[in-house]
Amino acid sequence: MRPAGALASLIILLAPVHAPAAPITFSTALPVGEGKFINREQLVFTRSGDDPGNNGLVVDVDALVSVLAYGASEKLALFATLPYLKKELRQSGGVRRSSKGLGDLTIFGRYTLFQRDGIGRTLRLGAIAGIKAPTGDDDETDALGRLPIPLQSGTGSWDSFIGVVASSETLRGGFHSQLTYQAKTAANNFEAGDVSRLDLSWQRRVWPRALQPSSNAFLYGVLEANIIHSRKSTVSGQVNDNSGGTTIFITPGIQYASKKLILEAAVQIPVYQDLNGTALENDYVLRAGFRVNY
Amino acid sequence: MKKLIGSVLLFLAMSTAAFADGTQYRMRVDGLACPYCAYGIEKKLGKIDGVEKIDVDLNNGLVTVNVAEGVTLTDAQMAKLFTDAGFTFRSMVTVPLDEKKAH
Repeated sequence: MRPAGALASLIILLAPVHAPAAPITFSTALPVGEGKFINREQLVFTRSGDDPGNNGLVVDVDALVSVLAYGASEKLALFATLPYLKKELRQSGGVRRSSKGLGDLTIFGRYTLFQRDGIGRTLRLGAIAGIKAPTGDDDETDALGRLPIPLQSGTGSWDSFIGVVASSETLRGGFHSQLTYQAKTAANNFEAGDVSRLDLSWQRRVWPRALQPSSNAFLYGVLEANIIHSRKSTVSGQVNDNSGGTTIFITPGIQYASKKLILEAAVQIPVYQDLNGTALENDYVLRAGFRVNY
Repeated sequence: MKKLIGSVLLFLAMSTAAFADGTQYRMRVDGLACPYCAYGIEKKLGKIDGVEKIDVDLNNGLVTVNVAEGVTLTDAQMAKLFTDAGFTFRSMVTVPLDEKKAH
């Protein structure tokens, strides 16, 4: 069996699904009105199977990520994210290990620092900060014993993150960016490496071509980029040289936005992976979901 | 007899129209950049007693609200409503609905 650290990159792929608004793979600075709720559900299918260790290792992580956003004031929005995860590892020789269950709960806030509005346009900058609580099961076992931490539904650790998010939205489309730093802590003799990431999203309205006063639904073409750098993890205090590294995803997608509902789908394609040692490389991430305004 | 029924129906129709007269408020609101954004303000406006119709023209940043007779919206009230919703209220013009019909 490969060391847990070789699978550590799997964890970060679920981290971006906090977003209550415009981009598909990360957050936004667009408003959540005071007293308003937004619910987002997103299916995320992740496959990592490009095994540089030639052990035929393939890991699938299927997740349903639920997000609830609440506008606490005109500037402060609160978010809660809870994934339901199904993880499976397959290895040459017929080894198969799996788990499923609720993952870790993430709670965070976003405060709008700057806002400039015009007719049919807005420019906003916000700060985000949050914590991830170890609510998921982190001591699941199978016939081979205790599952490695990256295969557990929960990490067992209290983690935190801070960042800034900016959005420029017009009636023709928008541009969004987010810069975050996630600090990991140790649990069960394992500590995932801290993660820095830069996310970019460009959206263009493709329908309707020309706006009418009655236009109340848009279809957007979406192109996103995710640059993710993870530091090496440690196992029992020892640095795992087969973990961490840098991955860049290019993410084409499509989004339909009406007054009450947003439907969206995207595929994250890893165009650059510079991972340490025999860390498992990512093949793709598929995302599809919806958001509902309440 | 037919003339009598016709006259009664005409009178009833005119009476209904008279009772339906109210006020139209046309508001300039900045920051409305997508349909999904607009829903929040429609919902907030819809909670005000007497609001009968809401139209959001994203292209021109215009929110038009028809209210029943006797109902008044104030600049301060609308400024707070739109600020709370995350947008910027610029101005409001009042047009009596009966005057609008006359034109």
